[in-house]
Amino acid sequence: MSLQLSEKHFTSAQPESAARRIVTFRVGDRTFGIDVGMVREIKGWQATTPLPHAAPHVRGVLNLRGVILAVYDLRTAIGLGSTEATATHVIVVVDVEDKTAGLLVDSVSDIVDVPVSAVRPAPDLERDEHGLIEGLVLLDTEIVALLDLAAVIRDGGDNQDKQLRVA
Amino acid sequence: MDPLAELKQTFFQECEELLGALEQKLQLLDEGSSDPEDVNAAFRAIHSIKGGAGAFGCTDLVGFAHVFEAALDHLRSGRVALGDAPFALFLRCSDAVSDLVNAARNDEVAPVRPDLLAALEQVGQAKAAPSAAPAAPAADAPPGIAALGNLLALVDSKMGAPAPAAPAKEDDGWDDEPVAAAPVRRLGYDVRIKITPEADLFRRVIEPRVAIGILPAEEIVSVACDLSHVPPLEALDVTDCHMRFEVMMRTALSAEEIVSKFDFTLANEEFEVEVLADAEEEAAPAAPAEVPQSVAADLSAILARLGPSADAAPQPDIHPVAAPVAPVAAAAVAAAPAAPRAPMRPAANDAAAARQRQAVSVRVDLDRIDRLMNLVGEIVITQSMLVECVRSLPYDVYAKTAEGILTLSRQTRELQDHVMAVRAQPVKAVFQRMPRLVRELAQTLGKEVKLVLEGENTEVDKTIIEELADPLTHMIRNSMDHGVETPEERIAAGKHPEGTIKLIAEHRAGRIVISVTDDGRGIGRDRLLAKAKSRGLVGADEKLAPEEIDQLIFAAGLSTADAVSDISGRGVGMDVVRRNVESLGGRISVDSEPGRGCKFTLALPLTLAVLEGMVIRCGVDRYVIPIASVIETQHLANTPIEHLTFGQEVLRWRGEITPLHRLGAVMGSAGTRDENIIIIAETERGGNVGIAVDEIVGQQQVVVKSLESNYGTVNGASAATILGDGLVALILDVDSMLRVAASGVRQPVPELKLAG
Repeated sequence: MSLQLSEKHFTSAQPESAARRIVTFRVGDRTFGIDVGMVREIKGWQATTPLPHAAPHVRGVLNLRGVILAVYDLRTAIGLGSTEATATHVIVVVDVEDKTAGLLVDSVSDIVDVPVSAVRPAPDLERDEHGLIEGLVLLDTEIVALLDLAAVIRDGGDNQDKQLRVA
Repeated sequence: MDPLAELKQTFFQECEELLGALEQKLQLLDEGSSDPEDVNAAFRAIHSIKGGAGAFGCTDLVGFAHVFEAALDHLRSGRVALGDAPFALFLRCSDAVSDLVNAARNDEVAPVRPDLLAALEQVGQAKAAPSAAPAAPAADAPPGIAALGNLLALVDSKMGAPAPAAPAKEDDGWDDEPVAAAPVRRLGYDVRIKITPEADLFRRVIEPRVAIGILPAEEIVSVACDLSHVPPLEALDVTDCHMRFEVMMRTALSAEEIVSKFDFTLANEEFEVEVLADAEEEAAPAAPAEVPQSVAADLSAILARLGPSADAAPQPDIHPVAAPVAPVAAAAVAAAPAAPRAPMRPAANDAAAARQRQAVSVRVDLDRIDRLMNLVGEIVITQSMLVECVRSLPYDVYAKTAEGILTLSRQTRELQDHVMAVRAQPVKAVFQRMPRLVRELAQTLGKEVKLVLEGENTEVDKTIIEELADPLTHMIRNSMDHGVETPEERIAAGKHPEGTIKLIAEHRAGRIVISVTDDGRGIGRDRLLAKAKSRGLVGADEKLAPEEIDQLIFAAGLSTADAVSDISGRGVGMDVVRRNVESLGGRISVDSEPGRGCKFTLALPLTLAVLEGMVIRCGVDRYVIPIASVIETQHLANTPIEHLTFGQEVLRWRGEITPLHRLGAVMGSAGTRDENIIIIAETERGGNVGIAVDEIVGQQQVVVKSLESNYGTVNGASAATILGDGLVALILDVDSMLRVAASGVRQPVPELKLAG
């Protein structure tokens, strides 16, 4: 019994010191983050080829050194309309599940280490109807919303009419 | 992957090839081949499987393969005449080996086939010469390190052989020689055979004991093992063979006969046969005096040799070069006298040549070839990008550069062809699975069928090879089940009781065409039509041409089999085949002649990796349409168009009413459209369709890139490619596009699209 207790104590204590390394990026005045491990590379905006009959947040496909991947507009996914892409916009190339995808954002801000304990649970359903947010982190003065990328890619298209309130 | 698992996987890959070879050779022999090389090849195949299986501890496989090998050995040695050999049994056994290999691969428990084992063991028994009953096979004699022990045992036993009181061993693991042969002094002459195996001997799964064991045991005077080539311990790789052998024989065999005995264990340069002298008068062989010395150099001698070198290694200042030099010197001495004596070299025969050819081929991971292919694709893209850049140069610079670009593009094209050739594989890989299928079905269905394969070496890209197995299996099943009649029915119809199915592959017009022809009863048109009518696929009063009825076999849910059988007849066969084949850009058709047979023809592109495409523009978007589906292009202005209800347009083309679709509208292209070109394309159903586009940009070979791997399926497109400017273009799939048009899916509001 006592052994079990101490073990339990130990396992719960360990993550206290563990940290997550997060890449943060901005869309409009919002800040989002994803684990650095999911990011394969960050590249400037590049023209995409639109796909017929695709969900609105699917910007199209592009050629990344011979591999064709789809680019998703995060702005559209969170219900803020479509991004008017310019040379200053950024595509974050990520590995999601077994696929490679591009996420169109305004700019990449930082890479930060966040203690696991500082990640708060995702907001309740009322505030995040589509479950795109995995958790929230308070960094200095801003709130970083950690994205559930699989959900962004899968369900982001349903969101174009609704604003996602995370702040 | 850990190295062992990797090795194991390689072994199983090799097993597939070996099984294919085994089956093919057995088939040839069954059909009356009397070429001893076929027997040897079959023996080699099963022997290699056994060897590898032993190394990986697949005991069931080793056990079965061993008995099989022993049975085949009777053929090889001539104890059983080729004409009497039960090849049908052998073929069934090769199927069983294949099952065992699969079981071993999947870590499953293998089905034990005591019936086949028993039958195999009968093979030698019935015909065995009374004098030399073959030794009971040792079922657990995997080659490898264990072979070393056997080898030393052999050296001992050969040493002891001249003594009349040699102990008769009941079973020493030697399947190739009669045990305890009487040491009869034969007349003949002395022959010295020097065996200098290459270091990779064991890796070729050849054991010295097998190589030497092929020689008639009673004629061997002595076997000496020369261990002077064993390197110092720290440099020793146990998988290398460092042993050299010297076999003294007194024999009546000619040098050529001895050479031929090593045909399939040793390469020509690995041994020499030297006739010493006519020994009829001589009494004792000269060898024995030196033999004990050599034999004394057994394992303990190896250790003794290794000892000093290993000790010396940490202190290199004593005799820095002494240890390495000794073996080298020995080798030089051994090699030097060999040359001037002009020893009897085996004649270069076909088998040896084949072995040579094998030696220069390499096994390459498919991933690497794919990467290479991708890279070539990139180069093609970069090159077309260069072409576009060059156009903007001033004329004098342009002329010079263009010449270089032209050469470059020719070379790129050649490079691409070569890489494609590397990926190409003979259809044999798929064809060789079919004989087994036919054998098993013939047994189940009680039919007699001969399968004839032609054009097995026709090469096609591996992407297609992988897709061939299913359609072929279905087509063969269909022919076996519905086409070929039972022997009784065939006799009644005045045919040979044994039916024939021909499986033929050939290249035709840039495609691979595979046909399955049977000489059975043909398609039962009346029944097929009745069934189609009862299912409502054909109107009750509709009149169909015979050929049209035949095509109904590809309709979904139709089967003419009276009873649903295990083999086919569930009505999910040929329509699935057609769908799969068409999804690959291929076609399938059927020709049938009642009472005479039926022929299915399958035509597929040679590759799925590149295709010849027409680049077209619609608004600001570009697409690629496969040339294979384009029939003709023409100006819209010259074409009479009629408007039907619901916005459907039709045009008259070659006297036929052809539906017209505007690509921009169907695919939701952005930008203003100025449609003035019509592409007449062919659909899978054989009908035609007009597609209105803005402009034909050009025609080029494009590298097919999957959309599924990182995205998903796209309606209207089969894949994508990368154009010269690095942008992606969708490759249109005409039929899928028509489905999009028919379903009336309208594209989302264009204002949302702000593609830069």
